[in-house]
Amino acid sequence: MSVAATEAAVEPQGPSAPVELTDVSRWYGNVVAVNEVSFRLEPGVTGLLGPNGAGKSTLLHLMAGLLAPSAGSVRISGRPAFGDPHVYRVIGLVPEREAVYPFLTGREFVEANAKLQGLPDPAAAARRAIAEVDLTDAQDRPLGGYSKGMRQRAKVAAAFVHDPPILLLDEPFNGMDPRQRLHTMAFLRRLAEEGRTILFSSHILEEVERVADRVLVVIAGRLAASGDFRAIRRLMTDRPHTFTLRSSNDRRLAAELL
Amino acid sequence: MNAVIASITLRQLLSRRRTLLLLALSALVILVAVLRRLSSTGSDAKFTADLLSTVGIATLMPLVALIFGTGAIGAELEEGTAVYVLAKPITRWMVMTTKLVIAIACSIGLTSVPILVAGLVAGGEGSTRLALAFALASAIGSALYCAIFVALSLVTSRAFIWGLGYVLVWEGFLSGLFTGTRTLSVREQTLAFTQAIANPAADVFKATLPLGTAVVVAAVVGVAAIGISLRRLTRIEIAGEVV
Repeated sequence: MSVAATEAAVEPQGPSAPVELTDVSRWYGNVVAVNEVSFRLEPGVTGLLGPNGAGKSTLLHLMAGLLAPSAGSVRISGRPAFGDPHVYRVIGLVPEREAVYPFLTGREFVEANAKLQGLPDPAAAARRAIAEVDLTDAQDRPLGGYSKGMRQRAKVAAAFVHDPPILLLDEPFNGMDPRQRLHTMAFLRRLAEEGRTILFSSHILEEVERVADRVLVVIAGRLAASGDFRAIRRLMTDRPHTFTLRSSNDRRLAAELL
Repeated sequence: MNAVIASITLRQLLSRRRTLLLLALSALVILVAVLRRLSSTGSDAKFTADLLSTVGIATLMPLVALIFGTGAIGAELEEGTAVYVLAKPITRWMVMTTKLVIAIACSIGLTSVPILVAGLVAGGEGSTRLALAFALASAIGSALYCAIFVALSLVTSRAFIWGLGYVLVWEGFLSGLFTGTRTLSVREQTLAFTQAIANPAADVFKATLPLGTAVVVAAVVGVAAIGISLRRLTRIEIAGEVV
């Protein structure tokens, strides 16, 4: 009986999610950057939304195994994220910091990432990833001469080169021009439709609105809301929705409304 | 060794402007040797030993190792590119040893090679053996310095200053005042190795540290430095935003 009860209690959570955080806190000295956050990421695009300094990057770095949680657990496909280099086979990471190796060309950079992942044909994988982010024309120029948006795309290609099922992107659209932004957004949507789990952070509501199916809202280190984007959007009373009604019979419509 | 990390580290270390400064310093050692050889005084083993120990071992070796040792991992962590190497399915042990080996190789290239050339050029009685001994000992000294500076760069973000302080204050200043501090001086250990390899006449060159002490202390310090580096790199955290 007790066994059955335990199973029943556990079952709603199902098998291990690609990314799972349970009661995760992270503090630096006296400053709490992330405060008792729990969520699971499922395949699809999830937007991590919040103002600057809310703890988005800390959360992303916790998921990427680059920070150890002060309390709670961060699991990637059921395994602890921190301290295990093997999680990087299933994770692709686009860090927020702009720094890249300025002396490498775009192709060399993406190919180096492919080789570090131990791919059998790094050159082919790099070619494919570079084409996906529309950087083929600039691939033989050194990264030091790239614009910010091009560098961002090179970072996306490097993160995606080993075709990971989980992609974590920290402010990926920063510095991209509107066309590049739309192109990268469409690319992320396509990756998600192929069954990947994608999380990107942003402080811009419109970006999240365009790409994400689900959203996690972080404010001051706490998870303020999570779930379907439209459901949360409806709750945002400070940003009113505008509806335009057209009718073939305005008089009748007015009468109905009144 | 990981070939990709090795080639990136190599290009990173050699593409810095500081490397040009080191090249100039290496060339200076050889230039002094050439000038002495051409001068009317001619070659003299005592001069060769003095040149190699003061300019080569005491100045060139620590500076080169300091720049390459702190640049191999520390600079990458500071600039933020380390994430591309650390967020990969590669053990930290592999990352650490590859970067250390490259730092050591670069240091030997800019320290031991000019020391050998300068020693051969400067000449003097038994100078070939002396030059070889200084070059070999400086290779060991460079490796030890690199191990220490790599560890230092993983312990503090001000590794360059601490390393420079160690070289200037501990090795340069305190070693002259208190003989006990020489035990923990890479420079003195290197000179002890030189003495053991070359076995020169006492009036040409004499190390102050006994060989036994130098070997034991160097081994302990080297192993400890590698241990600390590995421990730090395994647990290193990369924060997203500075809170």
